[in-house]
Order: sequence, then structure tokens, then C-alpha cells
Amino acid sequence: MISLNINQKNYDVDVNPDMPLLWVLRDVIGLVGTKYGCGVAQCGACVVHLNGEAVRSCVTKVKRAEGQKVVTIEGLAENSDHPLQKAWLEVDVPQCGYCQCGQLMSAAVLLRENPNPTDQDIDDAMAGNLCRCGTYLRIKKAIHLAADMQRKG
Amino acid sequence: MKRQSVNYKLHAWRLKTMIILVIVCAAIGIISSSFENKNKVGSIESDAAKDSVASVKAFMQVYKVLMSPRCMNCHPSGDVPLQGDDSHIHTMLPKRGKDGKGIYAMKCNNCHQPENLPGLHKPPGNPNWHLPPSDMKMIFQGRTPRQLAKQIMDPKQNGNKSKQKLLEHAHDALVLAGWNMGEGRSLPPMSHEEFVKVWTTWIEKGAYAPPR
Amino acid sequence: MISFRWLAEFGAGDKINAAADQWYELTGYIKITPDNVIKIFNPNPEFGQNVMTSLPMIIAEELGVDWQQVEVEMGPHDSVKLGPQFTGGSNSVRMYWKPLRDAGAAARQMLMQAAAQAWSVPVEEITTKAGKLIHEKSGKSGTYGDFASKASAIPVPKGVKLKDVKTFDVVRHSKKNVEGLKIVTGKPLFGLDYKVEGMLIAMIEHPPAFGMKLKSFDGADALKMPGVKDVFALKLFEDGFELGGFDTHTFNDILVVVGTNTWEVMNARKKLKVEWEPIGDRKETVNMFGRKQEVTIPGGLESSETQYQKMQERAKQPANVLRKDGDPETAFKNAAQIIERTYNAPFLAHNCMEPMNFFAHVTDEKALLAGPLQAPGWTEPTLSKVLKLPADKIEIQMTRMGGGFGRRAYGHYLVEAALISKQAKAPIKLVYSREDDMTYGIYRPMYTATYRAALDANKNLIAFHVKGGGIPEHPVHANRFPAGTVDNYLAEGWELPSNITIGAFRAPRSNFNAAAEQSFLDELAEAMGKDPIEFRLELLKRGKENPVGKNNEYDADRYAGVLKLVRDKSGWNKPENKKYNRGVAAYFCHNSYAAHVVDMVKRNGEPYVERVFSAIDCGVVINPDAATNMVQGAVVDGIGNSFYGGLTHKDGVAQQNNFSEYRIIRIHEAPKSIDVYFVENDIDPTGLGEPPFPPVFGAVANALYKQEGKRYYNQPFKNGNINKDNSIDKKAF
Repeated sequence: MISLNINQKNYDVDVNPDMPLLWVLRDVIGLVGTKYGCGVAQCGACVVHLNGEAVRSCVTKVKRAEGQKVVTIEGLAENSDHPLQKAWLEVDVPQCGYCQCGQLMSAAVLLRENPNPTDQDIDDAMAGNLCRCGTYLRIKKAIHLAADMQRKG
Repeated sequence: MKRQSVNYKLHAWRLKTMIILVIVCAAIGIISSSFENKNKVGSIESDAAKDSVASVKAFMQVYKVLMSPRCMNCHPSGDVPLQGDDSHIHTMLPKRGKDGKGIYAMKCNNCHQPENLPGLHKPPGNPNWHLPPSDMKMIFQGRTPRQLAKQIMDPKQNGNKSKQKLLEHAHDALVLAGWNMGEGRSLPPMSHEEFVKVWTTWIEKGAYAPPR
Repeated sequence: MISFRWLAEFGAGDKINAAADQWYELTGYIKITPDNVIKIFNPNPEFGQNVMTSLPMIIAEELGVDWQQVEVEMGPHDSVKLGPQFTGGSNSVRMYWKPLRDAGAAARQMLMQAAAQAWSVPVEEITTKAGKLIHEKSGKSGTYGDFASKASAIPVPKGVKLKDVKTFDVVRHSKKNVEGLKIVTGKPLFGLDYKVEGMLIAMIEHPPAFGMKLKSFDGADALKMPGVKDVFALKLFEDGFELGGFDTHTFNDILVVVGTNTWEVMNARKKLKVEWEPIGDRKETVNMFGRKQEVTIPGGLESSETQYQKMQERAKQPANVLRKDGDPETAFKNAAQIIERTYNAPFLAHNCMEPMNFFAHVTDEKALLAGPLQAPGWTEPTLSKVLKLPADKIEIQMTRMGGGFGRRAYGHYLVEAALISKQAKAPIKLVYSREDDMTYGIYRPMYTATYRAALDANKNLIAFHVKGGGIPEHPVHANRFPAGTVDNYLAEGWELPSNITIGAFRAPRSNFNAAAEQSFLDELAEAMGKDPIEFRLELLKRGKENPVGKNNEYDADRYAGVLKLVRDKSGWNKPENKKYNRGVAAYFCHNSYAAHVVDMVKRNGEPYVERVFSAIDCGVVINPDAATNMVQGAVVDGIGNSFYGGLTHKDGVAQQNNFSEYRIIRIHEAPKSIDVYFVENDIDPTGLGEPPFPPVFGAVANALYKQEGKRYYNQPFKNGNINKDNSIDKKAF
């Protein structure tokens, strides 16, 4: 039995400790916001926060998360009102939307560590998140907007 | 007049002696500096252990290993690690950051797990995955053998390692990881055991830097 | 396992408080409750082209409701109520423009009639505003909800007068993505998210190469793995089965592992002991929209290197004449100068972010399928035949798709899921790993085309010749520009068969043509000493005033219009833009016109597209901001594919099977700005998903020339699987 704390809730799951956290979240617990895109840490669709860090859950064994704090897109903000989520809607970022949860989770770490990111900072933080629909310009714009929102409080 | 000539002869003798002494010292100085026997890392050993020829020969083997992808890829000249057997710039351009552990959502251990993962193209793993920090970059890429040898022996450039620490470093977990990088990644050009031999030989025999 | 009310969350709106019998249907697209909740059904599946928002906008406009009052729901598969329901060919808005306007207007008329009856007043005296019915004379008013029940009993009128497009207050005004909040909060939306109680996961172990099939297998070790329920082999289609045009499939005999969760099934696959064998030539019967054909698919393990050699040899031989105007042979004989160039491009993989997957629960009596696909109507007949179930016993639910690009028009994975479910006697979700997805096929074909131009002594263009070929289809659009603008014109095409399967890829054929042809026109302009835009405008002028031949597929005015717009908006020859290496290209496809100016610079020694200016003519723009998003996305997609896209094979084995080898453009490589301008007109809307994509390749090639002083004839431009002399880059193999 593996004890997990996900979005401030405790779960005990009877899984192989080597099972990637991604599949525990999606198949066992039923949180499907975290997506499968490649399985080899190339695309970023699977990013979750492990003790606040943006880990790729497709290659992270669930045993690494045991007793740690995991936050998924569903728990990013209690009222779905993280500045990034609001900014994403304001800028109307998504096209198909499949990559966006991963984008948001990566961006959240950027904004937490750098409340005033430049375009270069955004490139540095987000180059690991693929978007096949090409919404990159809007992602950048939304991150700037969210940073603004955060600054204004 | 006799006193004058005696004084002159005394001066001349002193002068000659001085000149000879200076020449001899200079010769010793020149000879020793050409062998770089400046022993910068501390403990003094007997001259009998030093063997500049064997030391340099061993370092040329060490150089082969350090410049192989498994080592060089994490000792890049830029701030992005290298990747693969062809040492191309790591996809997604993860940046070194101040502590060498990456930045924002691209920290090394966001993808690189505590252990290797089975399967091609999965990121290799180690509990201490990181690049050298930005104030001690320990660059291998682009270094000549001479440059690399000098750099390694310089505490200001090698993470403040003493000779003893350097000897131990060959057994560091992250260094060992170079021989266990997972599927699809070629091994360094000799076994770890052989590497330890040449590494130790190079250092113990005086840590001489090759001429070029 | 914790179960969730997936179906309740799936596609349903937030205000589903009303009981089922309180929804009154007014045409197949609209349902209204007595509380005036207006539900509009989106007929076409969504893959990022914004139809889930824009199609209901069209209805809402004519219906006369405020957009805020509308709740959108994905429609069921019901061609009687909701039309053909296929997403593809940039056809959604174009095809549904009139029917949706008619439906909205008809429903409004029904409500007005209901109110007129209830108030005993003439219907002509009734007006509507934001979901309210008003009789000014008497001061009576009521909501649509008040009259929904009564209205639903009135027969749907035909030929109701539609609004003047100039008075639109919903359409032509940007509206936010109706699923935006669900997307950014991780709600279950995509096929891969679909789940029911007791559902199992199935994965297919495909042969490692095209041209191979399953010979035998031993699943004993796999069956022992934790979570595994079953291991079996299935045949998709019996010999001689008449396939539909979109039943393309690479492997007919499939080896399946079924288990309780995805990871355990992935592990179990590694324990399969399988023998594969090469297939010889085989025949397939295909019925594509009424045209039946017997096709021979060659056996063999194909390699890109030999394919390129074969193509070059084939290119020298005679081909099918697709169009001929004037006397090209003589014109070339008498030419003062002939310019000849050959262009090549490799297979492309669609690489939708969400890999292929589908849910199926099939019994002897019925079948329920759910997941991401572009055209349920094209696969349902096949399912009906394969499962031996009548169509009305087959339900296909369309989830949101994590990308389509044409790949999800091919429903083989529905047939696979259905047969697996039937065999396993359980609801299953078929999942493709990224590797499965990338190596399965249904690629954009491999192409080559040779362009020749004849110039007279005054450097006038007197003849134009394109001879294009491909594996397994040629790319030539014979009736497109510059056909119609040159007196002597010849278009030819040839094909080489292959067992590597192909399918529609965002602007099929055009996605190659625009690169080749637009680069070639640039070279011609240079040879003539003309500005590339002015040169094209000259040709278009001829095409308008004195067109050559018949069936010219484009409107020369509108084509010229986007070129002029992009010329102006980009400041084409302005001195302040000299620091950029500029490339221009324009193209017509899917009834729309697009032109781009691409501004390239050198960044860290590498070409980087810093800015793009885009001019689009697609008629009425339904949702301007979403349309802009799509064009920007097409530009990024085009840059990425032109620089990096390419899939190669060695002995039938795909050499790229994940993003570590198949490079996709990333955020730092996307331009800093993409300024999009739409031509303002009131022409009925045409497509937008595909048209902006092809000319990006041409503009990038032309910018590269300005920057590096050499022409790029082979795609991908940066990865270089194909060398400049058309030999294959050894590194690619």
C-alpha cells in the first residue's frame, strides 16, 4: 500500500511502487487532468507538482511521491482561479487544449520563483512543454498577464 | 698599489662565484619549471614517486574518458548540457542555473529520476543529477589535454578538491553513473576499473599536464 | 477502483438541472427549458478548430439570443438531426453556415408563432431580443422558455428569412472558447479521459515494420503479468471486405493485450513472444464515395533511401497529363532561358498530442463507442458490417480530440476497439502509446516535384510545367495558380505504390505544393528581376483579365487581395524592415486564400523566424479571435514542420518513434509576433483550418534564401534528412 497526498487529500493505493505517478493518477485514482503525450519526458503534458517542483509524472515512479505533497491541475487553485488559469481564459489560449494542463503546471513554477519573468525566462521555463496546435504566443502572453495579475494582488 | 689588486681579485672571485651560482640556480629553475613540478595541491611526496612521463601518458588515457560523451555531456562549455553519443545540445535547452540543478520547470530532477528507467529514450537517472554550478563550471568541452589537466589540479577550478579528494572523486556516485547510463548510450572508452588505474597513476605520479 | 460519473461530466453543460422531459426541441440543434436555459448542440467534433464555439454562435445569432444565455453541448451522432457531422477539409463552418442559420431562424420563427398564437396577435408584430419575445403594441412579453413547449409542437418552417450579415451581434464578435474553463481545470474532456465502471485497457502489439504481419505468438508470459486479463489475436477485415475510403489500416491481423490499467498492459506487452513474417503483394477492395476500386498493395520492406532513388528514376519517365494549355513543348523548345528545379519532402507524422485511442463496449445486441474521431459517419457503415449490427444499434459518442490534423478521419482504431471489446466481452478502451501512434502509418505522403519555366528573350514567362510524383500519391493540383495565368501550361502526375499507409494531413498535397511552387515562383521572379509579390500580382492580373484555359480553381481577385494586404501590412519594401530576411508566399486551398510574409533573422548562428504577417480571405469570420489563434497556430505548425518534420524508414521500420527523434517546434522557436489580418468582406465563410498552413513552408524557404544565399529544395530544412543533392542524409538512417 502506498500512501499519497494529492491536492491535500490522502489516498492509499495498492499499486506496484514502480508504477509511474501518471498512471496512478489517471487509471487508479481517476484524476485525468494530467495527460499522457509521450511517456519519455519529452512533451510535458504530464507535469505535476511534487513538493512544488514540476516533475514529469510519466517517468516518476509513484514511490518517489510516497509521503510527499503532490499537486495536480485539479488542485492548482481551490476555486479554479489561479492567476494563470484566469489569464489563460482571458487570452483564450487553448486550441485543442490537450497540452494546456501541463503548460499551466510548468508556468506555475515559473511564476512562483520569478514573479516578473521576461520572454527569455518564459522560454527557459516552458521549452519542455510541446503544443502541436502552436499556441505558444498566447501561452507567453498569458504568463505575462498572470504575472501582472499577481503583482496587482 | 698592492692593496688595490688584492681587492680586485677578491671582488672578481666573488663575482665569478655569484655568476656561477646564479647560472646553476637558473638552470635548476628552468629544468624544474619545464616539468611543471610546482605541486600546487599540497602534500609533498618524495621525488622518487614522480614520473612525468608515466603521469602524462596516464593522463592521455584519462582525457579520453573525460572527453567521452558520458562525462563531457555534463561538463559543457555553455550553460545547457549536451546529450547523446553525438553530444548535441540537450533538447529543450535546460539551463544550468546558479547551483547547476536547472531552473523553473526545467530542473534536472524534474525529468531525471533517482535511477535509470528501462527503455530507449527514457532519461537516465541518478539521485544527484546536476551540472557543475555557475561559479565553478568545470568545463571539459573544448579543452585541450593540457588545459584540462591544469584545470583539474587547480582547487579554484575543481571545486576546492585536494589531491586526496581528487583521488576519491573517481569513485563518486555521479562519476560512476557514467558507466551505467542505460540503454542506447555508449560506455566510456575503458572500464571504470581501468579508469581508476590511469586516474590514480596520473595523480600519484605527479599530476603532470601534457605539453599541449 | 473509484468510479466517477464520467458520462455526467462528459460534454454536459453546467446547468443540467432540468429533467430530461423538460427540454423542448426546436430543430435538432436547439433545446430550451421553461426556465429559458438555451442549449445548442455542436454537430461537429472539436479538435482545436473552435467549432464547438463557432458553430453554436451561428445558431445563436439567428435564434436571437444573447451568447451569455447559451449553453453548448457536443451533439450526439445523428445525421438526421445534425447533418453530416464530419470534421475535415476545413469544411465545418462552410458546410454548416446555411443549415445552422436556417435552424436558428426557423426556431426563432417557431417561438414567434407560438407567442403570436398565445397572445392572439399577428406574428409580424412580434420582435425578439436576447431570448425574449415582445409584442410592442400590447406591451406583452415573455421568454423563449415560456413558449418553448408550445413552439416545439409547430412544424419546422423552411426558407425563413435570414439576418443581414452586417447586423450580426454574435457572429463576427470574438467569443471565448466554451470549454475553456474545463480545459484549464483538467476536467475529463478527451477520449483518453473517458472511463466507465469495469472498463479494461487494451493495447495492440503491432508488427515492427510495414510490410510485415503476425505469424505466431506465445502470450503465456504476458498473461502471467499483474493486471493482465487476456491476450489474443484478431483479424480486422475478412478477405475481400469492401473497405470505405477512410478505412485505411496498416495491419489487419492484430495482437492484443487486455488488462486493468495502462501501465500494466504496457509491461505485459514486453513479455509477448511474437514471430512476424513479411507479407507479399496483397489486394484490397476500396469503395471511396461510390467509386469501387481494387488496389494492389506491394509487399516488401521499404527504406527511404531506395524510395528516393525510385522516385528520381520514375520522375524521368512519362506521367499522366493532368492539364495542358497551349503548346508547352514548343514553348520550351523556343525558350531563351529554362529554369528547372526539383523539390522533395518526406513522410510526415501527424503526431496529435493525444495519441490514438477509443472506448468500445460491444455486445451481440448493440455497440457503444466513445472517443476522438473526425467523422463518425464514415466509420459507422464499416462498423455495422464488421459487427453485423444495424446502424441504429451503434452509438458513437464524440469526445473532444487532442488534435486531429486529418489523422482521426481514419476509423481503424474504432474497428479495432469494437472487435477487442466483443472478444473480451467487456467495455474496453484501446490505447496507442506514442510509439504505436508514430509508427502506425497513415502519414502525409512522400513527395517530389520538378518545376520548369520557360522565359523568352524579354524574360517573360511563356511556359510553366510541373511534374509531381509521390509515394503513394502525387501532390499536383493541376487547376490552381499559376494555371490560368500562363499561355502554355502542363501539369503531370505519377505515383509509386507502397505498403506504407498514408492519409490526409492538414491541407493534403497543398502542404507540399505551396512550398515547392512558391519557392519556384520566387526563383522565377529573381531571374526576371522582379519583386516576388509584384510578379505574382502580374500573373494574377492576367488570370483575372484574360485567363488561360478552363476550370481555374481560384478567384484571381481574392488571391491578389491577400497578397496586397500582406504586402501593405508587413511594410514589404519599407527600409525599417531591411534588417529582416523576408520571404513571401501565398496559396489558395479549401476555398480560402492565405498569404504570409515571414521575417527571419540569425540567432545563435541558426535561422529564426522572428515575425510573421498573415493575410487571410476566408469570407465572413465567425469568431475573430479564435480564427486569429488558428492562423497563428498554423504558422507555428508550418515553421516547425518545414524545419524539422520528417519520418524515414529502414527495411520497413520507422526510424523515429517518439519526440526524442521526431522533432516538434518548441516555444523558444516560435515567432515573437504573428500579426493576422482578415480581408473584410461578406462572402459566405470558407475554410480556415488548412488554408493558412501550406504557404508558411514556401515563405520560410524564401526567407532562408535571403538569409543564407542558397535555396532549400528539400524538406525538412533544418533536420536535413535529405541532402541538397537529393541524396539521403546518412545520419537519418
